[in-house]
Amino acid sequence: MERGTFLYEVWVARWSLLSGFGITLSASVLTIAIATLLGLILGIGLTYGWRPLRWLIRIYVDALRGIPVLVLILFAYYGLALFKINVPPFWAGVIALAAFSIAHIAETIRGGIESLPQGQTEAAKAIGLQFHQRLAYVIIPLATRRVLPPWMNTCAEIVKNTTLLSIIGVVEFLLSNQQAIARNYLVLQFYLFAAVVYLLINFTISQLGAKLERRYAHFRY
Amino acid sequence: MVRRGILGLSAAGAAVGGLASAGLGLLAPTSARAQEAGTSRLQTVLERGHLIVGTGSTNPPWHFEDESGTLVGMDIDMARLLARGLFDDPEKVEFVLQGPDARIPSLITEKVDIVCQFMTVTPGRAQQADFTVPYYREGVGVMMMADGDYKTFDDLKAAGSDLTLSALQNVFIEDWAHKELPEARVDQFESPDAALQALNARRVDGYFGDQSAIRWLMQQAPDRYIDAGRGWMPNSYASAVKQGDPIWLNWVNTVYREAMLGVDFDYFAASYQKWFGITLETPKVGFPSEFA
Repeated sequence: MERGTFLYEVWVARWSLLSGFGITLSASVLTIAIATLLGLILGIGLTYGWRPLRWLIRIYVDALRGIPVLVLILFAYYGLALFKINVPPFWAGVIALAAFSIAHIAETIRGGIESLPQGQTEAAKAIGLQFHQRLAYVIIPLATRRVLPPWMNTCAEIVKNTTLLSIIGVVEFLLSNQQAIARNYLVLQFYLFAAVVYLLINFTISQLGAKLERRYAHFRY
Repeated sequence: MVRRGILGLSAAGAAVGGLASAGLGLLAPTSARAQEAGTSRLQTVLERGHLIVGTGSTNPPWHFEDESGTLVGMDIDMARLLARGLFDDPEKVEFVLQGPDARIPSLITEKVDIVCQFMTVTPGRAQQADFTVPYYREGVGVMMMADGDYKTFDDLKAAGSDLTLSALQNVFIEDWAHKELPEARVDQFESPDAALQALNARRVDGYFGDQSAIRWLMQQAPDRYIDAGRGWMPNSYASAVKQGDPIWLNWVNTVYREAMLGVDFDYFAASYQKWFGITLETPKVGFPSEFA
């Protein structure tokens, strides 16, 4: 391989690119896991909670959905430091992305649950299921099928939003590409490369999602 | 019934949150903080055993990664000089990577001990951070494609409002361009590679930037670009520290001054040669020239 060619430069930067890829993947997976878990809890709270609890969650969801992710990331890194809470850049990024995505997923869950016919809940009550049993055996399995497509959208958004972490110095995949560009000026080649890699990550997610959708396809009513 | 179920879930959520925050505590990095009132940062850094420096990683020849993935450049050399002065070991530096707009916030929030990131000294910034003595005098210029429509600075001037320039985003960059090219449109980009790509893709007629960057770019891709041949807007690059710590500021100033004029001149001159292609004249022996 000749020096200055794209393949040569990718080979030279391989460890940095791989590390960036690893950071992007781990930030995405952690954010998706945290956001899904807490989003599920908040979504159920938003549907069935006491009125004050519902209001609280509603304020959280509306506020967080209304703030740009970039502002949240800057706040998690610099804003918290003003209150003497010193969070490392990676975690500041994950906290900000998760806080944002929790709001989205909570709304998705609420929408999924509320779209179920009332008859399902009534039937579950009629056979004597307690609330947690209704939730576990009836509501959540039925809602899962409806919630999966928007949930996957959110996951793909999370992966793309990790590129914003570069602003607080997290060397994720895009910044590792930019570092290579700063050395060799193969601007278009590296951005195209980054685009293909992000596409592959999100294609994998959508394939996994499609598989899950097929798996839950039998939950009909 | 319903309510009890929800409360249970909330408690589970709180438990998860608690665990997460406990985990964060364990993973917290070394921080530039923990400076007691009355102690200088100099003492804090010495006790910590390494220096924490805010810089970037995408702007040659100031701070960028070489082929081995190591940060190099003029700013990095200055940071290593400080580490050598503190610990007799240029490797005892932790670099915190950040964008140019993070330079002052990370000082104020004590994420870093010092910023070495091609920082232009301005009166406005000097109200928010303490600048060290400058270590480079920058100027701006315009670089065009060698096979483009404009060949000389006079061509650019004659183009008037038809001229579009790309530049790295900065609060004062448009005013600076307008000093010599008052009608030019200035498109600002968030990273230097994006500003350069705008020129490569011929979305702009010229790349408006630091002369050090233009010189470096023309060295990397000979014959691809031409320099408009005019420089203006002198501005000084210095490091910055958090306000209100004269001991720390004075120590850094001493190291920088002696690099430019005293014991560390050889180190400083080698960096200038390497990154700017500028050969510095050895300071004259006798009366200190800075007071002449």
